[in-house]
Amino acid sequence: MIKTKTWVLILGALLLTALLSCLILYTRPAPGTVANIYRDGVPVRSVDLSLVTEPWEFTLSDERGANVIRVEPGRIAVIDADCPDRICVEAGWLSDSASPIVCLPHRLVIRIEKNAAAEGDPVPDTVSR
Amino acid sequence: METVKRFYMYSLRGLLCVLPVLCLLLAGCAREGDVPDPAAPRTATVFAMDTVMDLTVYGGPESLLSDAEELIRTLEEAFSVTDPASEISELNRTGAGDVGDDTAEVLRTALGVCERTGGRLDITVYPVLRAWGFTAGDYRIPTDGELSSLVSRVDWRRVSLEGNHVTLGEGQMVDLGAVAKGYTGDRLLSLFREAGVTSALVNLGGNVQTLGTKPDGSLWRVAVADPLGSGYAGVLETADRAVITSGGYERYFEENGRIYRHILDPETGIPVDNGLISVTVAGERGVLCDGLSTALFVMGEEAAADFWRGSEDFDMILLTDDGRILVSEGLEETFTPAGTWAAAPVTVIRHD
Repeated sequence: MIKTKTWVLILGALLLTALLSCLILYTRPAPGTVANIYRDGVPVRSVDLSLVTEPWEFTLSDERGANVIRVEPGRIAVIDADCPDRICVEAGWLSDSASPIVCLPHRLVIRIEKNAAAEGDPVPDTVSR
Repeated sequence: METVKRFYMYSLRGLLCVLPVLCLLLAGCAREGDVPDPAAPRTATVFAMDTVMDLTVYGGPESLLSDAEELIRTLEEAFSVTDPASEISELNRTGAGDVGDDTAEVLRTALGVCERTGGRLDITVYPVLRAWGFTAGDYRIPTDGELSSLVSRVDWRRVSLEGNHVTLGEGQMVDLGAVAKGYTGDRLLSLFREAGVTSALVNLGGNVQTLGTKPDGSLWRVAVADPLGSGYAGVLETADRAVITSGGYERYFEENGRIYRHILDPETGIPVDNGLISVTVAGERGVLCDGLSTALFVMGEEAAADFWRGSEDFDMILLTDDGRILVSEGLEETFTPAGTWAAAPVTVIRHD
């Protein structure tokens, strides 16, 4: 028969593991405002805007051309592009999920995915235009 | 020794009591998103019909979104005016011919809207639109002579459709641009419905169509774009409706300080400039809402209100260039102005 002491140790270890795993799961950064960038409908890059403290920029380019993207706390924009219509640049800053930034000539879409936790928030589901 | 043993025994009992609680705690640790949720939305982005389309469905078979994309491609191949291999391009080249069921159906509905609106929507305005460069982006102002010659051939009544056989009038060309996306939305929602989906949202280049409510039973919140800025003019709460907006603000050019917008008056061939800057139509059939939004934009405020009073199958929201909002009775409770339009005067159009 296994000693009571052993049982206590096993259960104690289990308790510790349980507490630790809960701690890890809960302290993991919560999904905030995440901007996903798609090329031809396929995700190519993801930026958690709620973790941005300092503004930064990057360029996405392929054979169709380049889009310069700027990230600031809680928002994202295309600040320069060599597409003919530059509608993506004129779209300005994106900070909610209602209406994505689209660069049709470069087949690029920047979208903020709706945060499941933000139930009942005032952000519309989509925009009719 | 006895005390120590008793201590262990108590600890053991205590732990045995805590264990189930721990299990529950651990189960609770699995956060939303960690486990695939059958009620979670699936989305697809499709570049088609010269725009970007967003599809969101809740439930349904695995292949549903790829079937949807295939349907969009099929319809695009039939309706496109820019693809020389499309049925419409072929028809515009030859002036007569047989078309497929979808093209015949969308032509029939479009001609119905042309008739119902007294030609304020006219699918034969395409050669004039092309002369202005609105189709290819090579904008220019056509000469008066050019315009009058082109406008003289604009008349939807000279298009005949018998079964799947179409005949155009002399020198005519048709463009389904005013109804093609609405028709595509109707077909997509039928596809979803037949697959057992009860909740879906599509946005086809700004044309919004909803199937059912959101999965939790709440209404979809569809914003109407602010034609003067980047935000929204308001939000409409809706279910099972198409919400389709026409406004000159989406495609235009400026020359000599004047702005020319892409919606033409079929009678004059000149861009509409009547004080309306946005027309949103909400109703059950996307193809109808799509065609009507253009026709009502051409009509202007008063004629649009009269037209609505004589109809029963749609509601509308009109925005004017002097900052007023007109809402038809059916949307009075569900449309909420927002942003810079939050304080705008609202007139409710009612049946007499």
